[in-house]
Amino acid sequence: MVSPIDYTRDRNRLLLVYFLFYYAVLIGWFADDRLLFQYRPVFFNYNRDLSELTLIALGIPRWMIAHPGSFAAADSLAFILPLPLIWRELRGKRFSPWPGIVFIAGMAGYLLLADIFWQVHHEPFLVFFLLAFVWTTGRADRFYLILKGCRLYFLYIFISAAVWKLARGAVFNSHEMSRILLLHHTDLLTADCRSITCRTYVWLIARPAASQALYLAGTLVEAVFLIGLFTRRWDRWLIGLAVLFVIADLLVMRIPYWTILIGAYPLWLRTGVQSQSILSPSTLSPSTLSPSAPPPSNEKRIVLYETTHHENLPALLDLSEAEFNQVIVFLKELSFHNLAGEGSPEQRWPQTEFIIQTAGCPNRRFVRQLFSYIRRHGVTHLHCCTLDNNLLIFTLRLAIAGRIHVSLTVHEVNLFFVRSWRSLRDGTETLAKLILRYKIRHYHVFLPAMADQLRKRLPRSTVVVLPSRFYSGHRPPLTAGAPASPFRIVIPGSIDPGRRNYAEVLRCLRTVSSSPSVPFIELILLGDGATVVAAPIIAEFRSIDSARISIRTFSGYIPETTYEQELTRSHLIWSPLHLDKHGSRNSRETYGRSTASGLTADILLNNIPALVPAGFIIPEPFRAAISPYRSTEEAWSLILGFIDEPAGYAMTRATIHQAFSYFSRENFTGAFIQLTGP
Amino acid sequence: MRADRKPLKSSAQSGVIAFAAIIIALQVAVDLAHSVTAFPFVHYGMFSESFSAPDSLLRYSVVADGRELRAADFRIYRWDMIQQPLAAFDKQQATKDFAFDKAKFSGTLPAIYSAVSPNLDNSPTVAADFPDWYRGYLSRLTGRHITSLRIYRLHYRYGDSGFVLLSKNPWIGRQW
Repeated sequence: MVSPIDYTRDRNRLLLVYFLFYYAVLIGWFADDRLLFQYRPVFFNYNRDLSELTLIALGIPRWMIAHPGSFAAADSLAFILPLPLIWRELRGKRFSPWPGIVFIAGMAGYLLLADIFWQVHHEPFLVFFLLAFVWTTGRADRFYLILKGCRLYFLYIFISAAVWKLARGAVFNSHEMSRILLLHHTDLLTADCRSITCRTYVWLIARPAASQALYLAGTLVEAVFLIGLFTRRWDRWLIGLAVLFVIADLLVMRIPYWTILIGAYPLWLRTGVQSQSILSPSTLSPSTLSPSAPPPSNEKRIVLYETTHHENLPALLDLSEAEFNQVIVFLKELSFHNLAGEGSPEQRWPQTEFIIQTAGCPNRRFVRQLFSYIRRHGVTHLHCCTLDNNLLIFTLRLAIAGRIHVSLTVHEVNLFFVRSWRSLRDGTETLAKLILRYKIRHYHVFLPAMADQLRKRLPRSTVVVLPSRFYSGHRPPLTAGAPASPFRIVIPGSIDPGRRNYAEVLRCLRTVSSSPSVPFIELILLGDGATVVAAPIIAEFRSIDSARISIRTFSGYIPETTYEQELTRSHLIWSPLHLDKHGSRNSRETYGRSTASGLTADILLNNIPALVPAGFIIPEPFRAAISPYRSTEEAWSLILGFIDEPAGYAMTRATIHQAFSYFSRENFTGAFIQLTGP
Repeated sequence: MRADRKPLKSSAQSGVIAFAAIIIALQVAVDLAHSVTAFPFVHYGMFSESFSAPDSLLRYSVVADGRELRAADFRIYRWDMIQQPLAAFDKQQATKDFAFDKAKFSGTLPAIYSAVSPNLDNSPTVAADFPDWYRGYLSRLTGRHITSLRIYRLHYRYGDSGFVLLSKNPWIGRQW
């Protein structure tokens, strides 16, 4: 079944495209003095066509020659006949097949007369003629059936040409193309042959091998259309080949065959034509993939594509499982294994299918598999959680992916608008982002300030705020008791001096180490400490390691289970961000405004407070948990307050627990529906 | 009601299949008929005939008001419209107003032929009228009033040294 919305859209688009073509042809004929009233013939031709012979036998051409005014009448009819049909379609009034039937009869008659009088070739207009049959039906199933027939006919045109060339032995005639050029361009070649085109023809004629290679290439292109009989998978590539063929035909043969391209419309359509076609079995075969049958067309299927920031997936998965009939996630193996800190992803999201990019699978192949899956399984929605590689390839595939609702998570607002042509990668990414901004109208960000920025720059788009995960609340806040010892402070995220101001933390902890009244503090640097940039930072922290302060670090990728355990056992998160930073492609970003830090995901795992530098825009629901500080002293004062007043600390956590109850699936369902559309 | 639905659907499907079969059969028949077509069933040969080396190549040279028209000076379709009427008229004259086709028609369907034969012939004055008509059409195409027209049939041979003019025969020549 095709939805009425799809049907109306497809019909309206065809109406526009069809009659633009139709009137372009007529106006082109007028410009070249080819309309019948301009030609005003004095004799008619026999073209060995039985339909034309019927018209001749009826005496119509003879009568028209005797009554020249009839030529203008025929031309006028050609211009006027579509108007009732267009009027009916636009007004959407009660359907009648008659305007369509009259139009088809008129068009057929006019084409036959044009051939009888000035020998227009019918071939480029036949798909045009056949497509007109859609105007005789008001039923969606018949509309798509006719389009399906036209699609097959379009394929037949090319396949037939290839078959004829083989059957008649033309492809085996080594001088075929040079002789065709000789015969076809005689008038050009024997006149003043100075143009580049003419000299190229001469060159080709003198080199039969080269010209025959062109002929064989043309035959091959025609034969490739055979594939369309077995699958719709390559339809858009076939459109590209058809365009290439038409261009080559114009350049080599000087035959403007462009009208045939109207036949590409049924190949361009996906929904209706495909929903009625027999789908061939899936060829997508990563080991983790279990292809299933295409769903009924009223089912909603979403694919989430994720490459690096799996920590932001949980909320999207929760929402997708609630709102979609099927959820499929394309993600890296590492992301899959670290998606959930507690339990496996399959247990946590049982209705979700995970398609994993194994270590040996290149990104491009994975992208190809993603779009192959989308095409074959009738996916209705695609959400790109992260796009950080092969951007142009991804975008071009997206552009030809057909009718699918696409949404995107923007991690760095400024980066999404950066234009740079300094390198091939920058250039392709700039181009890709231009296309993405044109193609995608639904965006997801993590912070309201980011949403405001994005809305200003893309005023026609929908931008929603969704958290990285929902607050589960399964870890109740502590009750008041003795001061925690050790008091654990965690700094989560990669140990990168470009992102975080570790000097500030060091200054603060040196104060601690010199103060005998302060209880034991454990500092956990919860990021990979084995990197080149991390080593000197860790060395500095080690220098303050003492009986009062303990430093704990990690080496290598930290598994999600460990990561979450460390965060839940801690008493305070410290996020000493440099608010202004250079993004992943050197774009200037501001934490809290144009980009979000991992803090917004980490903090929702528990109900512990966090510290951030002043200037970080703290959204309302986070205010109970995040405290800003303007100086090292102020930071220390806040920490000391948490340590010295266990009752106050417990109350803070209870307040956070209550405030975070806002981060529930129910509260963000509306935004998610806005993001994913109908 | 429910029991009726399936047979109805099957019947509709059978109808579609039968219709498709008829269309395909007609197309195959037209393809097998080679030189004959029946719109909308046409051939998509696209230069599939195996061409042998031509003995000579014909070109119509049009000299209007003393100036030869050149393909390079016109858009593709406009040049087509300059050449096509000449080729068509030449064929009409050479075939004695398509006598072979009419003979085939009369031999195949004599009764119908005799009923419609007056409609099948072009006016006997075509040969006399054509130069005036062509001059008028050419004037419209070129946008200038033509007072002198000479058309030649040029025959060339193509060889290793390129094109060699074999003959140049005046065909149409008139002053107005």
